[in-house]
Amino acid sequence: MLAAQRGSATIEKTFVWQASQPVRQSHDEIKPIEPALKTAFDIDPSFDYEQALSRCAQGDGQALQDIYQQESRRLLGVAMRIVRQRQQAEDVLHDAFLAIWTQAARFDAALGSGRGWIYSITRNLALNSVRKGAREVSVDEETAEALDAQTSLEAHHHHQLADAFEIHASLGRLNDCLSRLEPARRNCILYAYVDGCSHGEIAALTQTPLGTVKAWIKRSMGSLRECMA
Amino acid sequence: MSPQMLDELAGDYVLGTLSAARRSEVEQQLPNDAVLRAAVQRWHEQLLPLAALAEPVEPSSQLWQRIESSLNLAATQAAPSAIPQIPAIPEAPADPTGVPPHHTENVAPSTGWWNSVKLWRALAGGGFATAAVLAAVLATGPSVLPSAAPQYLVVLVAPLDKAPGWVIQASSPTQLSLIPLGQVNVPAEKSLQFWTKGDNWQAPVSLGLIKPGQTVQIPLDKLPPLQPNQLFELTLEPANGSPTNLPTGPVQFIGRAVKVI
Repeated sequence: MLAAQRGSATIEKTFVWQASQPVRQSHDEIKPIEPALKTAFDIDPSFDYEQALSRCAQGDGQALQDIYQQESRRLLGVAMRIVRQRQQAEDVLHDAFLAIWTQAARFDAALGSGRGWIYSITRNLALNSVRKGAREVSVDEETAEALDAQTSLEAHHHHQLADAFEIHASLGRLNDCLSRLEPARRNCILYAYVDGCSHGEIAALTQTPLGTVKAWIKRSMGSLRECMA
Repeated sequence: MSPQMLDELAGDYVLGTLSAARRSEVEQQLPNDAVLRAAVQRWHEQLLPLAALAEPVEPSSQLWQRIESSLNLAATQAAPSAIPQIPAIPEAPADPTGVPPHHTENVAPSTGWWNSVKLWRALAGGGFATAAVLAAVLATGPSVLPSAAPQYLVVLVAPLDKAPGWVIQASSPTQLSLIPLGQVNVPAEKSLQFWTKGDNWQAPVSLGLIKPGQTVQIPLDKLPPLQPNQLFELTLEPANGSPTNLPTGPVQFIGRAVKVI
């Protein structure tokens, strides 16, 4: 079952990560990430996304290539986390750059940042690709599999408490708002956004009843909305 | 739908937890619903920092080439928004000399969509309005061309309506390719003669007679090396060329060389 494979791959990855990290008992301890981790690839901080998109809208192919050079590694990273397979992720990026090119004239700087627009296109295509794929199985099936899983209660317990993601100060305001959520609930948000997991997949992954996952996400999004406002 | 429900829907859409069916509903609703659109946009911006949690992955070296070649096709099928009014150019009719109409692609392999003969042809149909686009493509494209890329580029345009008709590419200072962007009608008993003149030359020099719609490679070894701003033109001459060995007929296409850095 493909979806189950997706889920189990992530569980494995998470446990590997946890093995090398102390389990944090308190959601207040969100340690800042080491600078080396977030600047794995050099980027040009002065890159003008809005100008590049406006040049794309005028038919300037170099502008598209500039965007590619600036962002392709990180965009592929984003797509890879969501679709899990390299070829599929590259297909997503291919389609994303075609969309950036053909829709650049529709980008409106008054509505948001150029960088945000580029990422939203890529994430949307990646999520569509995963959701529409044959991998999707019914939520009940996923949950049943999750409940059948022979994982120890202790691991379950640790999993609930630990941060599955490093979040750090560079997230700015979002960092503050996320840190107000309990780790288990925060993880749900991050599994969804970063790993493209559906409710069912998150339920399987965190071994939490589906209804609880849905309620947590709904409330967490509500808290984020208030916190970010 | 209450404002709160709408915002929740937008948040779930951006977060990615909606089913394929719900996602598709939201996407259909977005163009017609400014409030939903604004909410989606806000969530995108607010959650964007989380994208940094995904480790960067180096794309394969073929990916950009794939994107480029897809855009190459797109240039003839659906031009990008900046040049939407270009009518489709019918392919040139078969040359009576038997030269296949597509042979130019073999002479000028596509190294980038801005270097694409198909794109030039599409632009050629746009006349004056596309001259600026063409200039932008010319001015920015060449810096990323591979090492075999032309050192000089010239777009020859019709003097009256500035419609591009031919492109000259020179990969070395001693040879150039003249590439047609479309079919040109030359009256019977007339010919197209190709000329060039450097800024400090006393008179134009003939580069020979040109058949319409046909790419030619012309050695320049008997001439001084190409220089920036060097003039190129095609004039209408008697069937066997100018009797004086200087242009006598009307200029059909004209342009100046741009050095590619």
